[in-house]
Formats: sequence, structure tokens, C-alpha cells
Amino acid sequence: MSNFQYSRRALLKSGLAAGAVLATPAIVRAQEVRELTMLTWAGHADPEVVGPFERAHNVRIRAKEYVGGDQMLAQFAQSPVGTYDVILADAEYVSQLYQADYIEQLDLADYPFDDFFPEFQKFEGHWYDDGLYAVFLHFGFLGLSHNLDALSRSEARNYRAMWQENLRSKVGQFDWHLPNFGTMSLIEGNPAPFDLNAAAWQQVQDTALTLRPQVRGFYDYGGTLSALRSGEVAAMPGIGDWITGVLQRDGANVATTIPEQGGLQWTESLSIGKGSRNQDLAREFIRYMISPRGQVATATLKAYPAMVPTRAGWAMLNEINPNEAARQNMSLSGANALDEIRAGRIQLRRLPVQQSLESWNDAWVRYKNA
Amino acid sequence: MSVLSAKVRLRRRAWFALWAAPLPIWFALFFMGPMLLLIAMSFWSVQNYRLTPDFSLSAWSYVLSLDFLWSTFWRSYGLSLISAALVSLLAFPASYAMAFLITPARRLTFLGLALAPFFTSYLVRIYSLQVFLGEGGVLPQLFHSVGLSGASLLNSYTALFLGHATLTLPVVLVLQTLALGNVDRTEMSAAVNLGARPQHVLRHIILPAARPGLSLGVLFAFLLSYAEFVSATYLGGGVFQTLPILLTDLIRGGQQWPRAAVVSLLMMAALMLTSLVTVAWAYRQKGN
Amino acid sequence: MNTHLKHALPAWTWFAGLTLVFVILYAPILSALVFSFSVDRFPSLDITRFSTKWYAQVFADARMLEALKNSLAIALSTALVATTLGFAAAYADFRFRFFGQRMVLALALLTPTVPIAVLSLAMLAFFSRIGLSGTVGSIIVAHVVVATPFAMAICRLRLEQLPREFETAAQNLGATPGQALRLIVLPHAAPAIGAAALIAFAVSLDEYAIAWFVGGLEQTVPVTVLNTLQGQVDPTIHVIGTLAFAATLSMVFAAQMLLLRSTKSHKNKEVSP
Repeated sequence: MSNFQYSRRALLKSGLAAGAVLATPAIVRAQEVRELTMLTWAGHADPEVVGPFERAHNVRIRAKEYVGGDQMLAQFAQSPVGTYDVILADAEYVSQLYQADYIEQLDLADYPFDDFFPEFQKFEGHWYDDGLYAVFLHFGFLGLSHNLDALSRSEARNYRAMWQENLRSKVGQFDWHLPNFGTMSLIEGNPAPFDLNAAAWQQVQDTALTLRPQVRGFYDYGGTLSALRSGEVAAMPGIGDWITGVLQRDGANVATTIPEQGGLQWTESLSIGKGSRNQDLAREFIRYMISPRGQVATATLKAYPAMVPTRAGWAMLNEINPNEAARQNMSLSGANALDEIRAGRIQLRRLPVQQSLESWNDAWVRYKNA
Repeated sequence: MSVLSAKVRLRRRAWFALWAAPLPIWFALFFMGPMLLLIAMSFWSVQNYRLTPDFSLSAWSYVLSLDFLWSTFWRSYGLSLISAALVSLLAFPASYAMAFLITPARRLTFLGLALAPFFTSYLVRIYSLQVFLGEGGVLPQLFHSVGLSGASLLNSYTALFLGHATLTLPVVLVLQTLALGNVDRTEMSAAVNLGARPQHVLRHIILPAARPGLSLGVLFAFLLSYAEFVSATYLGGGVFQTLPILLTDLIRGGQQWPRAAVVSLLMMAALMLTSLVTVAWAYRQKGN
Repeated sequence: MNTHLKHALPAWTWFAGLTLVFVILYAPILSALVFSFSVDRFPSLDITRFSTKWYAQVFADARMLEALKNSLAIALSTALVATTLGFAAAYADFRFRFFGQRMVLALALLTPTVPIAVLSLAMLAFFSRIGLSGTVGSIIVAHVVVATPFAMAICRLRLEQLPREFETAAQNLGATPGQALRLIVLPHAAPAIGAAALIAFAVSLDEYAIAWFVGGLEQTVPVTVLNTLQGQVDPTIHVIGTLAFAATLSMVFAAQMLLLRSTKSHKNKEVSP
């Protein structure tokens, strides 16, 4: 018995000791290398992106990858203050992060905003009461993503193609209300697709319902890639090059067309988490990400390619990787992607203005159930 | 004397506590804590996307007044009940073979092989099933070659069912095989010797005797399918609105965790009620 | 032993059922194995060619190695603690009659009914409040809660087969409760304890939802699989599945050997009917 008790106690002790070692923050274990933590979408902490920064500042970046803004918010909210230094989030969630008081105000002077194209210098989703809360990292356009075997580019010039007979049960939708209702709103010709009065909002929901019989399923990020790749779905509204660009690299016959009714813009930005203990390092990191080198890494991200907002970034991309610059239409001479914005064909994806977020969400749940 | 007996009693108590206390303590700390927080959270409010401790009934009244709540509830309940029944039927011949037609030593190997996939990443297995069911996948091509439609089977109940089966078959197989293995063989032999037909033995001796295990199999298949989320998303394509899907959908209305907590509590209540009824029925005295 | 028993249906029908079930169980695993060697990023039946590039990618990924280390540490600790707790509770339930006995069982069996999505957030919220979030330790604590009911059920079922008189008889012959436990109960329960540990290990090794929430910056293997499945989607999912299955299969065979040995020794003692 005493033997048994001894071994039990010993077991417990070593277990606790092991637990204690595991529970010790890595910071204590490795004094010289600093750590910068990051809450981010997939792919942004790949070694080819952050490697140069890590080496230059003798820092190790530890990233927590998320796949939905709501999970990200919950993770930040319920973790101890200071857990996450840098947050990469969609503009809609930057606004939620700001309202929930989860991000630090930034100093305009720390970042080279002069180098940004004019439309991105005072980006609406990043400024609150004249304070800056996020730095614009990259963006892309959302239109109609389609399989070219099923839907030609010219057919895709009109969102109404989704209602065609041959696309019955072949339309997929990204499982989030904003891009989908936003697209419906564009189809309805609303000049500000997220700023709708009651009648216009009702009209958007009614139009959406007519599309419902064409819809095969509702997909997350990974599901969207698989469904478009396998041909499970032939068209998806509110999706962009961040999906089809990746699939093209893999040899898929897919494309994103911005129909004549216009497209939406998604935007992801970097913020500093409230209570971060590494604010100096976080600031340096954001500066690195909008430096030409960081911008090129971002534009050619393995997880999803996207356009970047800085002139120097465009210049370096055109120099290093002219093919990708051309593919994404980031040409410094002649026509380029920015012309779409300047021509008023692109509207920002944003939170609903006149309705609450939850009423759009409710409508979406109802729509999926219809 | 009394000092001694008090000492002995104390030692006995300590001995008893050594065994009886650890699990309740661990669960009180690390399970009841979160559970109570979950219950409390259903009364919290959300202000500026921030979960705020409060005593508000708004999440409850919101969820309970959703017009599609009960249709979702019953769809969820019905789909998992059907899956549980089908999986049990699917597993029964296999369990029967393992219990009666295979030697006990082999039976262990088969049970082990039946359990092995259960502990291989479920996510991986569901993702792999897409290749069998999706556009141009194994099954559609097979169907096409025999002159059937050859359309993708994803986002159908068939796909969802296969997902549920992937999740629950191992447990059901093990429970059924154990139940059948414990059926009193002397009673079976006696019935056969008295001239009972094999069908009669199956219906009147084997099935009643194995009832507890068979019912537990249905129950576990139901519990697991009911809370299932991954198949519903990746094989069902999100077109079957079940409670776990509704739960994640609600959160997206701007950090509405209190509402998700309400749905969770409803789900738990339904599961516990079902479990109690099933267990009571499974262990009901014979002859009723 | 059942040769005299006639079955309601011919034997081949039952075996056909057995085959069907194993096909359903193993088809996805087989497909994972095949596509883990396909050079294509998205699985389709016309495989361009076979390659080990996804294996190379998995093995070259430092974060994956870290996740594997975490997963193993977590699963081993979970197996240790959950089996200890589960056996203790099973033994207490078997050996003693006490107030609240049923409550303990109910408490343990309540766990599987809580929807994981919300339980995960509740656990993160609770662990943060007691200063335990974002560590490997917090994942262990949570996984123990999830795995213990399984461990307890297995141990309890095995103890049920032990005649109660054995332990009392040993004590009557002068053994202390501790000696009786060590000499009678533990040897009898050993295979179940082993099996419980393996199952607790496997439950922990496959859990992703709670691990994502309470683990903070600590990655585990299933969390990386989840991230890949919901995000970038590539055959590393298949690679990890194949490797995990190979590992599980060897564990199952190990468990099999344990159980088989004990069944044999058990059977020798029985008088055949």
C-alpha cells in the first residue's frame, strides 16, 4: 500500500511539475528573443511573410489563426488583456473591435500614409472621432465568381445570369450575410448598397428569395474553394480573386468578373490589441507590413492574393513579379484596378447603416431556411 | 478504545475519500464552473459587441420567439433520430455477425478495427467523404456508369447520413456487439432444442435480452448526431438548418453568445430528457 | 461454440452486413491515404501523379512539429489524469455506497450533452477568470473533463465483472484495503485501465473545438487540421489523417494484445459450460 501511495504521489508531483513547465509562458523561458502575438486570418504568419521581420528585430511571431470574425472577437474578448498584440481583421470587424474598445488608438505620424493611394489615406472604417485605429493592409474586389465552362465572362457581366435555367441548383453562397445581401442590393441598383431604407431593404430580401431555388449550398472559406474547384457550384456572388486567384494557380478554369451592376470591396487591416505589452514592436511590425517588402509578400500571399494600398508596394511588385502585378491589374502606368474604384463601380462592404447587424443576420438565417 | 475506533473510522473515511472525491472535485472546478457560467451567460447582454454580465431575459425572449426555432428544433431532432435508427439498423447485421458467427478472439480484433476510425481525425474523414459524394466523385461516377443520374450527392440527406454514420457507427457497433454477446446462450439452445424456429429465437429471445445495449446504441447515435456540426456544414452544405448550425448563425448577429447559450441549454434539456426516457425504457423490467 | 445454433438468416447475409459496415468505416480513411500521395491540391479522381510533396510539407513545417509536440503532451497528460480520475470514481462507485453516488454519475454523463461550440467559449471565459487560459495546461484540464466519462465507463464495466466477495475475502484474511486493491482489484482491472487510457488519449488527440478556444496561441494538430479545412484546404489534411490513423491502428493493436492476454487468462479459470 505504501508503495502504491508513494508512486501515486510521485506521479502526481511529476505531473504537476510537467504542468508547471508547460504553463510557463515562453517569454520567461527564452529571454533574448522577444515574442509578438497576432490574431489573424490564415497565411499571414507564414515564414516567407514574417521571416525578414523576425530576423531583423530578433523576435518570434506567434500567430493564432482564425476563420471567422466572430470567433476572433470572442477569442480576444475572453482572453486575458494583453494576450494578442496585433490583430488582422476585416474592416467590418475593425469597427466592432473599436466599439467594444478592444484596440488601441494609433499615431498617424508612425505610418507613411503619404505613400498610400489617395482613396486609402483616410479610409472610413479606420477612423473614429478623428482617431486612427487601424492601418490598411490589403484589399480586393468581390463580384461574381464563376466556372468558365458553365458561365462565360460576358454572361457574368450581369448578376442576373445567376437566375439562368442552367444554373439551377448550381449557385453557391458564402455563408455570411454582408457580401450576399450587399450583392443583391447592387443588383437592385442601390447606389449605397448598405445604406438602405426600410422599403429598399425589404426589396433586397425579396430579390434574394427569388435566387434561393438556384442555390446549392452555403459554404465557408474552405468549402467555397472546394465547391468551386470540383464544379459542385458554377457561380458564387460576393466572391473575388481571393478565392478564384488561388484556384487559377491550381489550374482551375474559374474567374471573377465584376458585373456591370458593380462590385464590393473587402478590406483587411492591422490594429494593435488593447493592453498589448509590446506596442513598440507591434508598431514596427505594422510598419514592416506596409513597407514595400511586406506589401509584396502580402500581395503574393500563398493563402490568398490581394491588392495592396501603397505606391511603393506596387512599384516593387511590378519590379519583382511583373506577371502577378499584371494579373491583379496593379499596373503603375496605364489603366489599373484603381480605375474601377474611381469609376464608382466598387462599393465598400460595410456594416448595415440603417438596420442593425442582427436584423441582417436574422434575415440571412431566414433566407437560408427558406 | 473509542480513540482507536475514531482513528480507524477516520482512516476509512480518508480511504473512501481518496477514491470518491477526485472526480467530483475536478468536475466541480472545471466543468460545473464553465456550465454555471454558460447558464449565467444566457442572461447576459451584449453592448457594443461586448459580452456584458447582466440579468436580462432578452436572449431568452429573443430565441424563444424566433418563428423558426421550433421547426429547426424538430428538424434537428427528427434528422438525428432517423440517422440513429438507420445507423442502428445498418450496424445490426454486422454486430450479429461479430457476436454469433465469429470466435471471441477474432471478435476483439474486429471490435478494435471498428473502433480505430473513431479515433482518427473526424475532420479528415468528413473531408475525405467529399471525394466520394461530390461532383465527379466515386459514387456519382459509379451511378452514372450503371445508367443513373450521376449528379453530386453532396448537400443531400444521404450525405448528411453518411457523415452521421461515420461519426456514430463505431460506438453503435461496439454497444450492439457487447449486448448481443451477453445474451444467454443456454436459453437460446434450449429454445432451439424445443423446436423454436430461428426467427422466433431472434425475435423473442435475442432481441429482448439485448434490448438495453441496442437502445443505448440508438441513444448514443442520437446524441452524437444531434450535436453534429461538421457533417452538417461540409456534407450537408448548410442547407439543413439544425440547432448546431442555428447556434453558430445566431452568434454572427454581433457577438450574440447569450442567444447561443440559450440554444445550448435547450439542446441539453432535449438531450437529457431523451436520455432519461431511453435509459428507463432500456432497463424496464421484462414482461411489460 | 455456436455451431448448433441456427440463424434467422443465412450466415452470408450477416457477413455481407459486416463487410458493408467496414467499407463505410474504412472508405474515407483509404481515400485519405490515396490522396495524401496525390500531387493535386484538390482531390479528384483523375490524379495527375503521385508524390510525397505534401508529406515533405508537413514534416518541414516547424509549426506543425510544435503542434504535434503539444498534442502528444496534452493527450498523454489527459490520458494519465482522466484514467486516474475515471478509475477512482469507478472504484468508489463499485466499492462504496454513499450519498450522492448517482449525482456523481449524472455529473460525469452530463458532459457529452453540452454543445461543444458554446462549452468551449464558456471554458475560455471561465479559465481566463481563474488565470488558466491560453496554455497547454488549460487544454489538458478541459480535455480531462471530456475524456473522463469514457474512462470511467470502461473501468466501471470491467469492475462489474469482479465478484464482490473476492475483495472482502482478502480483507477477512487480513489484507488491508490497500493490499486488497493492489492484489485483487488492480490486476483484474488492468486491461480496462489500459484501454481507458488509450481511449482518453485518442479523444484528446482528436479534439479541436475546445482546443482552439482555450488554447490561445498554443496550436494542436487537430486545430491545424481545422484551420486548413476551413481555410486554405490542401492535402496536408490527408497526410495528417493518414499518419494519425497509422498511429491509432498501432495503439489499437497494442490494446488488443493487452485485452487478449487477460481474456485468455480469464477464460482458463472459467469452467466451460
